[in-house]
Amino acid sequence: MATGSVENNSSWLKKLNLTWVTRLFTSSIGRKMVMGATGLGLCGFLVVHLAGNLFLYKGREAYDGYAHALHEQEWLPLAEAGLFALFLLHIYLAFVTTWENRRARSKSYVMRESKRQDRVIAAPVGSPSNWMFVSGAVVLGFLILHIIDMKLQLRPDVQHYAEHESFANAIAVLSNPVSQVVYCLGTVFLGFHLSHGFSSAFQSLGLNHPKYTPTIKVVGLIFAVVVAAGFFLLPIIVPMSPGLVEQAKQVEVSIDEAPAATAHP
Amino acid sequence: MASAHNGMRLTLKIWRQPSPQAAGRLQTYEMRDVSPDVSFLEMLDQLNEQLIAQGEEPVAFDHDCREGICGMCGVMINGQAHGPQNQTTTCQLHMRSFHDGDVILIEPFRADAFPVIKDLVVNRSAFDRIIQSGGFVSVNTGSAPEGNAIPVPRHMQEKAMDAAACIGCGACVASCKNASAMLFTSAKVSQMAYLPQGKAERSQRVLSMVAKMDEEGFGACTNTGECEAACPAGIQLSNIAVMNREYMRALLTSHE
Ligand code: HEM
Ligand code: FES
Repeated sequence: MATGSVENNSSWLKKLNLTWVTRLFTSSIGRKMVMGATGLGLCGFLVVHLAGNLFLYKGREAYDGYAHALHEQEWLPLAEAGLFALFLLHIYLAFVTTWENRRARSKSYVMRESKRQDRVIAAPVGSPSNWMFVSGAVVLGFLILHIIDMKLQLRPDVQHYAEHESFANAIAVLSNPVSQVVYCLGTVFLGFHLSHGFSSAFQSLGLNHPKYTPTIKVVGLIFAVVVAAGFFLLPIIVPMSPGLVEQAKQVEVSIDEAPAATAHP
Repeated sequence: MASAHNGMRLTLKIWRQPSPQAAGRLQTYEMRDVSPDVSFLEMLDQLNEQLIAQGEEPVAFDHDCREGICGMCGVMINGQAHGPQNQTTTCQLHMRSFHDGDVILIEPFRADAFPVIKDLVVNRSAFDRIIQSGGFVSVNTGSAPEGNAIPVPRHMQEKAMDAAACIGCGACVASCKNASAMLFTSAKVSQMAYLPQGKAERSQRVLSMVAKMDEEGFGACTNTGECEAACPAGIQLSNIAVMNREYMRALLTSHE
């Protein structure tokens, strides 16, 4: 047995003993815990993000006020990095576990039939829990377009405004037909993802008890519906509100005619 | 004795595979005069007698106790592990669960960790290796103690007994879309975690049993709940949460 007197290069590493971290990322259960924790972290982000987006309904002043206050926070880059890390971990583990799970049965059954008696959706396609990778992948597709639209402002077919015109930019994106279709689709799939994911995460983290599990399941369903509906309605209601669109148009006027501004009262 | 024309007519589609390496295929058999009172395995016995009489190779299927306690007899019946009845093994399933004229599809349990040996017989020794990796108590507890000497509260006894009801049949693996063995492994992990004799080795146990389970090529749980519904012994999903908890506890508190 090696004792403390034996010196070698890896001794400091051994003292650190990071096997628990390796286990967290390489064992089936460790991975599920990280998936659950990152999934719940992302749920937290969704709440904050939706709450912020609700300022859109209050108009340009309220929304820009919120957006500018947010962008002035010094901790924002840190929060963004954290969010990015959550997504990366969640998506990386989604691919790894899905790959491993497919590999566990390379020869499939001729026929499969559920024995569960408590299926809410008794469709032949199975329940949302059978489609987590697919729903997650659709959400990922939506997210990529969403980043291109909102953060990178790279869409040639969307009329973007100056960077600080958050409200006008949001209205421009939400009025674009391609974005509208993809956003609505993405949020419906997000709802499916969460209808299983929210409660599933608690089970993955070892939190299952007759005392609170039924509550978590109900809360998870409500959460999924409320969050999905909240995001889903934005690209529908906002472009259909003449008041909001008008406020955005005024931004356009003020930019385009800025040099000639003196000509107007 | 059942009269000649009172029984059911059935069409059986059975997976036939002469050896582990052979490709295998579904073969159709017509049966008549199947009594609704016989068990599913007795119906297969009847088919095999018919096949032997015709000079054909009988269908290989696993069984032992035929009373629902050994866990040998699992097959997929119309896409369901152990057939349509909840909390019932194949040997305890009776033909009255089917109807005259039914087509019944019978496949072996499928998972890469459970290779087919022949026809409906699969090799489930991966389960034995998971148990060997830690599903026991190795601390010396002395000779059999007086029953009341080790105080175990009644509700803990009940929980441990519920988990110990697992018969290791593999229906959880067979019914899981990920061929995960977590319900099986968690039943043993939580059974021992509930009892004082098991507590001393709980961290080492859960770490090595989970490592073994992964190594054998079983998938990971996605909380779909098919295992719980297919389990003939009524092992519950909450055992998997207990195992997850035990695992987290071991990661944070053990030296390994
Ligand atoms: C806002 C975005 C997202 C949120 C809020 C979210 C949330 C969650 C939650 C709470 C879980 C449950 C974890 C568990 O069962 O332990 C989960 C699981 C999962 N997610 Fe996501 N997710 C998001 C995006 C994605 C993306 C982009 C993918 C990419 C493919 C993805 C793929 C998966 C997969 C494969 C699972 C595991 C399913 C299972 O275990 O049944 N998710 N997600
Ligand atoms: S033969 Fe023993 S459980 Fe069915």
